[in-house]
Amino acid sequence: MYSSNPRSNLLFVVLILFSSSLLINSRKLDLKQPQQLDHGHTDDSLAYVWPLPWDYTFGNQTLTVDPNLSLVTQGNGGHSVIVSEAFDRYKKIIFEHCSSKLDGSGVDYHLTRLNVIVHSGNEELQLGVDESYTLMVAARDELSVIGGITIEANTVYGALHGLETLSQLCAFDYGTKTVKLFNAPWYIQDKPRFKYRGLLIDTSRHYLPIEIIKQVIESMSYAKLNVLHWHIIDEESFPLEVPTYPKLWKGSYTKWERYTTDDASEIVNFAKMRGINVMAEVDVPGHAESWGKGYPDVWPSPSCREPLDVSKNFTFDLISGILADMRKIFPFELFHLGGDEVHYDCWNSTPHVKQWLQDHNMTAKDAYQYFVLRAQEIAISLKWTPVNWEETFNTFASSLDPRTVVHNWLGSGVCPKAVAKGFRCVFSNQGVWYLDHLDVPWDSVYYAEPLEGITDASEQELVIGGEVCMWAETADASNFQQTIWPRAAAAAERLWSKKESASSANTTVLPRLEYFRCLLTRRGIQAAPVTNFYARRPPSGPGSCYSQ
Amino acid sequence: MGRTGLYIIILWYLVYVLVISADAADTKHLNIWPMPQSVSYGYGSLYLSNDFVLKTKGSKFADASGILKDAFFRTINVVKATHVIEANTSNINPTFVLKGIHVVVLSPSDELQHGIDESYKLHIPANGNPLYVHIEAQTVYGALHGLETFSQLCHYNFSSRGIQVHQVPWTIVDQPRFSYRGLLIDTASHYLPLPVIKKVIDSMTYAKLNVLHWHIVDSQSFPLEIPSYPKLWDGAYSISERYTTADAAEIVSYAVKRGINVLAEIDVPGHAQSWGVGYPALWPSPDCKEPLDVSNEFTFKLIDGILSDFSKIFKYKFVHLGGDEVDTSCWQSTPHVYKWLWRNGLNGSEAYQYFVLRAQKMALSHGYEIINWEETFNNFGSKLSRKTVVHNWLGSGVAQRVVKAGLRCIVSNQDKWYLDHLDALWQGFYTNEPLANITDPKQQALVLGGEVCMWGEHIDGSDIEQTIWPRAAAAAERLWTPYDKLAKDPEQVRDRLSYFRCLLNQRGVAAAPLEGLGRAAPEEPGSCYVQ
Repeated sequence: MYSSNPRSNLLFVVLILFSSSLLINSRKLDLKQPQQLDHGHTDDSLAYVWPLPWDYTFGNQTLTVDPNLSLVTQGNGGHSVIVSEAFDRYKKIIFEHCSSKLDGSGVDYHLTRLNVIVHSGNEELQLGVDESYTLMVAARDELSVIGGITIEANTVYGALHGLETLSQLCAFDYGTKTVKLFNAPWYIQDKPRFKYRGLLIDTSRHYLPIEIIKQVIESMSYAKLNVLHWHIIDEESFPLEVPTYPKLWKGSYTKWERYTTDDASEIVNFAKMRGINVMAEVDVPGHAESWGKGYPDVWPSPSCREPLDVSKNFTFDLISGILADMRKIFPFELFHLGGDEVHYDCWNSTPHVKQWLQDHNMTAKDAYQYFVLRAQEIAISLKWTPVNWEETFNTFASSLDPRTVVHNWLGSGVCPKAVAKGFRCVFSNQGVWYLDHLDVPWDSVYYAEPLEGITDASEQELVIGGEVCMWAETADASNFQQTIWPRAAAAAERLWSKKESASSANTTVLPRLEYFRCLLTRRGIQAAPVTNFYARRPPSGPGSCYSQ
Repeated sequence: MGRTGLYIIILWYLVYVLVISADAADTKHLNIWPMPQSVSYGYGSLYLSNDFVLKTKGSKFADASGILKDAFFRTINVVKATHVIEANTSNINPTFVLKGIHVVVLSPSDELQHGIDESYKLHIPANGNPLYVHIEAQTVYGALHGLETFSQLCHYNFSSRGIQVHQVPWTIVDQPRFSYRGLLIDTASHYLPLPVIKKVIDSMTYAKLNVLHWHIVDSQSFPLEIPSYPKLWDGAYSISERYTTADAAEIVSYAVKRGINVLAEIDVPGHAQSWGVGYPALWPSPDCKEPLDVSNEFTFKLIDGILSDFSKIFKYKFVHLGGDEVDTSCWQSTPHVYKWLWRNGLNGSEAYQYFVLRAQKMALSHGYEIINWEETFNNFGSKLSRKTVVHNWLGSGVAQRVVKAGLRCIVSNQDKWYLDHLDALWQGFYTNEPLANITDPKQQALVLGGEVCMWGEHIDGSDIEQTIWPRAAAAAERLWTPYDKLAKDPEQVRDRLSYFRCLLNQRGVAAAPLEGLGRAAPEEPGSCYVQ
């Protein structure tokens, strides 16, 4: 309705005043042992939220939620279709068990309305967009006229996170056949610790059908991840259409295993509706053999198909064309240029490339640097901020464009070095955050700390976040989700929640993560058991989801 | 029509010829799964209109509950989900554009029962204006199979950026070889959330399976609400791993709308320990929690109550009463049961028979016919109700004996058709013949079909789909396609099955590679179509 919302802010204050009397028994979950989650028979307290919100208080009331819960919106961004579609999605999730026979006309529900206040009408999704929200839940009773559920956020993307949190507070009560919200009244103020919370998918080693990518995006929103790093192409296959160079997708595995530009736009839009940015990657020059299927000129020679031929202008024309076409699809300000694992020996052994190196007075290593920097210039000219894998930093840090975001993967200690030199950094240490490493159990993922070894506050600022990587050599549509989940969720809490609440002293982590993995399976996401040592293994025997 | 008109016709003719020659090259293989009874096709190619419609003129089926309409939209959705459609078919000569599907259903009834007519005829003409796909079926459920087949003829074309149907004209006449084509799911070893079950049901329709055998309860847990005995679901793993009766009714209705019957099972007396969590009187003693106490009248009262509640939800004509793996030794060692046995002059195995037959009578009194696991037949076959269907599982050769005895049979020999046996490969699923060594047509008719079993000891929401698929599809073709059209060597269908598994992936189903053991991860990078 209007932007500043003095009315809602007033309600806010009133609620907090009332809260002091209502919340006598409330406590901070991260400071005290929570109520034990007992899926046996007695305790109905399902107040488990993943990732743990920044600040919150709760009480001990149980409120019923009307299956015809209505949405009331306020603020410049309230009318957004992003909000209303999300509301419809979450209604389906929350009222999964309520069939039409149980609509309970005549029943007096505590919670019948959801107020969503979004102050800003700006729906641009970018790195660092305000993702904070406030969620308040209280009963409408004699003491308080301000009952109901209220989500207040500066942007629609904050409101989406609020909806996700709300959905996790609700649970179906099998006794009364109603949806209940436990431990009310709730007052939650939440925001992410890091602005970049990523998941890499790799559609080159195995093609992922669009339907599967959408399932992955949907599941990311449940864990409040916000960047889908789409490693679209690599040496094995080139599934994406590039209109300027239409022969490139001849490098796809088959004519069916391809994405049109419209398919890619559809994925970007689907992700945006869920508050998720898509960062595309073109990994040059070392992971690009498949490009030569359509344009053999980019291969130095038939026996040297990688790295791309540094000596030909055509190589860079092609990169320019690809990036220009991709710029129309991917609005996110970051673009990944790869740059890892460049084995340039065969440049030296290919006569015309060797000649070119001599002519330009370059070693192969110099040429690697030349290649990466030239690709960076192309990306920057398209108003992209380049992201590069850490080898580029490790090899020629001082030459990199200062805007470069260094993407760590080889091991620990890289981000400290990068930020010390003023670069921004994304943490993906393969020892802990490579999901294709099946021998990394959930707790190793969880206790990995992106800021490890960085004490200076201004340097900490430069770590924009982290990313778990689902490399697809042995992952396809059949096992993708169960390799990602629940371990990606462990990283998601690390990236979202306060550092203290994700410390090893917090004994609530395992039961909450087990609860979250069951929540994922209840939403149709194939999340594997938490406590198996090896990832994506089947449950070891019969038993409850909540203890496996 | 002036010169321009003629010119356009010639131009379109050229396009037509070019389209044919371009497409005939890479679509010469038939990629329909399971293979229909008879198929003929040509060399033409048509587009699917952007606003593809359903027409039912001349149909006697009123579609009051939207079964056909919903199926039509699902079909269009799976066809369109593979890629974003960019083609604008209003710019294409209408003689090359399919405007919709004309479905004629001859029976007005939407009742789904065992043995219902599932046949259909699918015809896609090569020319005409307006152009429609024609499906004719006796029942709406036959029409649903026709829609599924149609969806498998549609392909996204990367040149035209739209959906095309190649190889027109198509004429397909199809019907299943067996009336019972089942898949067992087990929600007692692990609870399966509702969306997971629904997705399994959706995927079954792609392979034309038609019975979901729901092994709801077992020793480990009792997730289902039974209003007559509300403490039974105290045996659920947790307060939230449960199904309300409304949930169960929803599953049944969801399945029926897709032409799939739900066969409910209570496995008595040997797989029922979880019942005693709510009603400990069912346990012979704290040390003997299984089989159910045969000496206690309450046991049978409870079974009757369950079946009575079942009959309100599960409308399929069969109910499964289990009866497998009954170890009666602890009846003998429990004093009050032993006393009861002695008083009634029964030994352990006679009491087992007594139990099974009494449960059978109850099921009959609720209007059900009965399915029992094969041990009941192996132990006291001649005593079983003649309405019993014997469910084979232990090994091969059982069906032969069952039909010889005049009873009906369902084949699920575990060495070939148990999906939890990861070393049972798709080739074995494909070649397992339910009628092996049964030559008398009358006896053959007693084999209702077969079922693949997804036992849940190591199966939950995280791995059920890739353990079921693609192996269940191999069995699905065995159960659907005429015997003569089945490949003698399964390797002959490998490419087509591979294509089907990739189609499942495109539809969001986590079907595993054909290579390797059940649900094995792909070994290395590569195309879906060769793994």
